[in-house]
This record gives sequence, structure tokens and C-alpha cells, in this order.
Amino acid sequence: MNFDFAFAASTVPTILGVIGTTIGVAVLSCAGASILGFSFEIARRAGSVPGYLMRFAIDFIRSTPVLAWLYFLYFVLPHWGVTLPALVVGILGLSIYFSGYLAEVFKAGIDAIPKGQAEAAKALGLNRIDVVSFVLAPQMLRNVAAPVGNHFVSILKATPYLAVIAVPEMLGSALDIASNTYRYAEPLTVVGIVFLVLALAIAQGVNMLERKLLGPTNR
Amino acid sequence: MSDGQSMRQAASWPAEIGQQHGARGPDQTAAVEAAALNKWFGSFHALKDINLAVPQGGRIVICGPSGSGKSTLIRCVNGLEPFQSGTVRIGGVDLTRDQKQLQKIRRSVGMVFQQFNLFPHLTVMANCTLALRRVLGKSRTEAADIAAHYLERVRIPEQAHKYPAQLSGGQQQRVAIARALCMNPKIMLFDEPTSSLDPEMVKEVLDVMIDLAADGMTMLCVTHEMGFAREAADQVVFMDQGSIVETASPATFFAAPSQERTRLFLDKMLR
Repeated sequence: MNFDFAFAASTVPTILGVIGTTIGVAVLSCAGASILGFSFEIARRAGSVPGYLMRFAIDFIRSTPVLAWLYFLYFVLPHWGVTLPALVVGILGLSIYFSGYLAEVFKAGIDAIPKGQAEAAKALGLNRIDVVSFVLAPQMLRNVAAPVGNHFVSILKATPYLAVIAVPEMLGSALDIASNTYRYAEPLTVVGIVFLVLALAIAQGVNMLERKLLGPTNR
Repeated sequence: MSDGQSMRQAASWPAEIGQQHGARGPDQTAAVEAAALNKWFGSFHALKDINLAVPQGGRIVICGPSGSGKSTLIRCVNGLEPFQSGTVRIGGVDLTRDQKQLQKIRRSVGMVFQQFNLFPHLTVMANCTLALRRVLGKSRTEAADIAAHYLERVRIPEQAHKYPAQLSGGQQQRVAIARALCMNPKIMLFDEPTSSLDPEMVKEVLDVMIDLAADGMTMLCVTHEMGFAREAADQVVFMDQGSIVETASPATFFAAPSQERTRLFLDKMLR
């Protein structure tokens, strides 16, 4: 088999035509997963009944396949009268699935802050909200920046799953081209390169953010 | 504890405990007073019937073997550690679990920790100004002026723009002292302030503390630095197994301790 560069180039406009969907789904899913994951972790810390329920929920989410979530939201919910557009199902599914992982990241990020930090802040007379917003949250952010970035890359790479519920994204459109032309190598290679570039961009962004958060010291 | 008892007198603390940067009047209410204080960690009886009074301007050193409850006691004084029975009074005000009241009392009680606990994401200056701005509502420039004054006082004004990780341990601890002083506290609590320092940095921190003592700051200090106790304290409290065993002036404490346990402890410490 010979790789046809001209054909590969001709697939680029089609594939890039849906890059907006891929990026949009990824960005919204990152936001959704972060918000859900952080809320889950805070609820888990509440202890007692909500804490135990949340611990179970986080473990449950993490031990189910992402495809199961997408199929469930897309095919099962309508039986109960809840029919969501494919795009919404995709964003919701990725958000829920990755929230489980992000909850664990936030847990580690909070646990890594020495107990003395909150004590020193309280000893200065700061109220609870200020202790969290000026002392704990900024330190949690620097602790979680790198692992959260990794999960954002994972979310980006999970967007092709949305092909199974007919969301037009890059891998799906590449497969469409392949099944029409019987040439797989070129469109799939193009998709691979586009994902690589996007993932590198996220990694670079996270790197810069982390350096900014850490300040001049490499603590 | 008859020493402590005699220091309790019924006069009033300045009406507003959160009052800042005002003059310290010749007030006779005990700055800190713990009465019949008991604390358990689970089934472990950490503080047993503690009675302690720190008069205004008093400089009390608490010493004792590890696990004797010294740190727990000092942490009860500003409500970082809850206790099960007894009372703690700061300037005549009972410590409760009410958050608002605790926050108010903590403004007038500075604390310095063994591990410094500077905020690593903030510069030295921002470490010092955070509470001035958020708790006392000072403006940025006002807070910076106050912070600069106290950084000068602990002899590191030139480090204001640096981050804690860029400083030596001794410098970090002096910043921590300045950070506490910025709130113009009526009492300073020191919880083993030199225990995690390299030996050559102990002196620079003790010097700052001795200056503070000379200026009349009320101090409650857990430390193993017997030299500091001798030089700066007006009372030494010896604790063992959760109880106060002996309270004496430094002269008496080191020369003629009345309790056998104190003598055994001093034998180990002073060689």
C-alpha cells in the first residue's frame, strides 16, 4: 500500500470541518467534569451520609466504561421520557465519566496541603471563606494543575467515542471518508496528527499555567 | 499553682478585644487564664486539670518531655484544639466554639508554629498583609506600611518581595513572627519556634523573641531552649503527662526545682 499525500491533503478540509465540534465538546466536557468532580469531592468530604453516598458514586463512575454512560444516556433515558440531543449526551457522558477521576485528583490536591496552612490562617483571624479562598484554594490549584491537564488531554482523546451516538466529530468524519473511498491510512493519519497537535497545545498551556502558579520558586 | 492563682485579678480588659494598634493600658486582667482545663484525644487524657494564668506582660515558658501536653495546651489557648471541660479566658473573654467569637479573639492572639506555616504561594509581604487586609480591612498601602515596619523589626525588610521557599528556616520563622505581630496582638503564642531550625539559625529567632519580651509583649512559649527561659521568661511551667508539675521563676526552676520529676527532666536537658 502506498500513502497518497495528495489524497491525505484532500481529506483535511472535511476533517477540520468538524474540529469545532471536537474542541467544543472537549472544552465543555472539561468544564463539566471539573465542576462535577470538585463538587463530588467536597460532598465526599462532608462525611456522614452524603460522604458515603459520594464515595460510592465516585467509585461507581470510575468503574464503568465511558461507552456505557453514552449508551445509557442516549438509549435508556428516553425510555423514561428524557430525550437529549446527541451533543448534550456526549458532553454529559464525558463530564460524568471524567468527574470521577477529577474528584480523585482534587482529593489528592487538597490532601497535599499541610494541615498547618489552615491553622496558620485561622490563627490570624481569617474566617472560613477567606481561609479557603486565599490560602487553601490557590495551593490546591497549583497541586492539581498538572494532573488536571492530563485528564483534559484524556477528555479530548475520548471525544471520538461520540461517533457511536452520531455526533459529527473528527474520527467519525475520517471513517466516513474511509468507507466511501476504501482508503483508511490517509484520513486516519490526518486525524491522528490533528489530535497530536491539539494534545500538545493543551500540554503546553498547562505547563505555562503551572509555571505561573508555582511562581519563581519550584516548590 | 498558687503562683498562678494570685495573678488573677478582677479588672477589665479593653472593651473591644479586636481593637488594633491602640495603646496597651496598665490593665490587670489576666491575658490568658485556663481553669480546670481537660482535654482527651479519644481515650488519651492529654491535659489534666490545667490551671494557668498569664498576667499581662507575663513571659511564660512551658517546657517538659515530648507528649507532655505543652503544644496541646498552647493550641487550646487560641481554639485550634477543642477541649472537653474547663475554661480558657483570653483577656477575660471565655473561649467558646462560636466561630465569629473565635475569629475575634484570634485577632488579638498571635501564633508562631514549629513548622513556620508561611503561605508558600504568597510573597513575604503578602503573607504579612493578608490578614491586615482581609480581617482588619486595611488598605493595600496601609497594610504594606505596617508589614514593612514589622519586617524591619525582625530584621529582614529586604526579603519582602521573596517567596518563603527562597528563605532560610531562620528567616522564614522571623517572617512568621512578623506576620503575627502585624495584627498587633496582645499575646504571642510560640509553639516550639526553634525546634525545626538548623542550630546556627536558632539564635536569630531567639534574639527576635528576646527583643519582644523586652518590649513587654505577653508571651506564652513552648520551647526546649533553656537559655531563652533563663534570659527572657519570668515564669517557667514544667509539664509532664498532661499535668502542670511545677511553676517557678527561672532562678528557682533551674537552681532549686521542688519536684523530683522536674529535677530528672533538667538533668537530661542541661548537659
